[in-house]
Amino acid sequence: MKWLDEFIERKARAVAQQTSRRSALLRIGRVLVGTAFVLPVLPFDRSPRAQHGAVDDGKHDPLDPQRCEYWRYCALDGHLCTCCGGTITSCPPGTEPSSVTWIGTCHNPEDGKDYLVSYNDCCGSASCGRCFCNENEGERPGYRMGVHNDINWCMGNESSVYHCTVSVILGQSGSAGG
Amino acid sequence: MRATTILSGGLALLLGLGAARAELGPEKLTINPLKPATPHRIYLTDLVLGHVIDGRIHVIDGDSFDYLGLIPTGLFGLTALSNDSSEMYVATTYYTKRNRGDRFDLFEVYDTATLELEAEVEIPAKHAQALPYKGTLTSTSDGRFVLIQNSTPASSISIVDRPAEKFVAEIDTPGCWIMLPSASNARRFSTLCGDGTILTITLDETGKAASQQRSGKLFNAENDPLFVQAESIGDTYYFVSYEGMIHEINLGGETAVTEATWSLLDAADRDGHWKPGGYQLLALDAKAGRLYVGMHDEARDGSHKFPAKELWAFDINTKKRVQRIEGSNSIAMSLSDEDEPYLYVYDGMTTEFVKYETLPALKPVARSGPFGEFAGLIELH
Repeated sequence: MKWLDEFIERKARAVAQQTSRRSALLRIGRVLVGTAFVLPVLPFDRSPRAQHGAVDDGKHDPLDPQRCEYWRYCALDGHLCTCCGGTITSCPPGTEPSSVTWIGTCHNPEDGKDYLVSYNDCCGSASCGRCFCNENEGERPGYRMGVHNDINWCMGNESSVYHCTVSVILGQSGSAGG
Repeated sequence: MRATTILSGGLALLLGLGAARAELGPEKLTINPLKPATPHRIYLTDLVLGHVIDGRIHVIDGDSFDYLGLIPTGLFGLTALSNDSSEMYVATTYYTKRNRGDRFDLFEVYDTATLELEAEVEIPAKHAQALPYKGTLTSTSDGRFVLIQNSTPASSISIVDRPAEKFVAEIDTPGCWIMLPSASNARRFSTLCGDGTILTITLDETGKAASQQRSGKLFNAENDPLFVQAESIGDTYYFVSYEGMIHEINLGGETAVTEATWSLLDAADRDGHWKPGGYQLLALDAKAGRLYVGMHDEARDGSHKFPAKELWAFDINTKKRVQRIEGSNSIAMSLSDEDEPYLYVYDGMTTEFVKYETLPALKPVARSGPFGEFAGLIELH
């Protein structure tokens, strides 16, 4: 499996670099459908925020890691581990990091640089169910698996039961090799 | 005090009346038979991500919007109706100890007349634990072989012989995704690949790959990728790209061939950055020659799953837009199988269905209550 991981990561980095075109201020969660809605437009996302305590007061702080608008989550599709007992880069206790992953490219508003971010899933427990986010910058369909997020990245683990998703910086976009 | 007295008096009166009626006799517990299917019966596949081992398909009456029952789908189950809608297929994962222990994957067949399990077949423990996009599980056009997308994340396809209830083959399809059966050749299907080519696979009578032919580059997977959901008339599949191009590609021959490409957008649409979006964002009425697409404006990198702000209808012969209408936040849509079909749209913001008349023009005629938690695929019986 190791060779496959490396292959996918290499491919993903290459693709992620090519597909990175974004503005730091343009965030998916802020776009509204029409004018009647006050909720951010997130397919599948009606109840999780409302029912499970995720923050959505319209502030869209790109530096708060318990919000979908946190800059590293620009392509994260799942439950935030920061709401599930983990951190931005660590899985909650009792879970295991995924052995395979996919990669996004996100813009850090603090230093103005683009970073490659690995969206590992945390696996093996029951699903966390809190703070669901659905961000898709640079995301591509399943035929570009290394940059696809409509799949369970716990799929290669001994237990593939999905719990939540972290976002680990791999390096700066364009300088991380690959 | 006075209010209490009146209330007590009322209660006593009510109880007294009850006692005056005949006593209830013993009852018999039964199983409610499923209401016979109509073209408006809806199957809504729900991953229930917040308790993901417990997926299900909601079965809903698309006229009354009554909840009719459900089909359980396990962990990241892929789902598809059989070609004649008499069966619902599920490909899923179970663990011996719920969230741990030994993994085993099953192909399951449910009878859509009763919602009872009809058959189960063990398949390689690698079915794609993906959102159940249309085409991740499908059948050859004669229904003989069922095709199941695998991902480890290396891509392959498991082939099940439906009448024999047997797994018969696994075909490696590196870098490719989704299965699109040929209508005219019951042993043939194609899959979209990450280099912009389409791989066409022809099976032999045992379900093993007899030939695999790769097309030239037919689409730009990097800059203008095709959404994987596609609709067909005969062997001609209609794909839509992120940038709003329709690709009509014939998948009947040994090698996929593009028949036409055309844009959904005019100059004003481009100025408004209108783009297609959603999960099941297309519907095609072969008889009327109408194509329906979920669209949103102010599109940008990453907005390709946005709910529809508008639904656009196109005449596929003139390739011109014939209507645009408010989109009900559609993230999934499907047409009923009848002469004058209805379009059912799933609102990704409210989780409600909106039912549209389609002819002579789209017109919303009914809205349901909310259904589902994490759903994005609908099928109509």
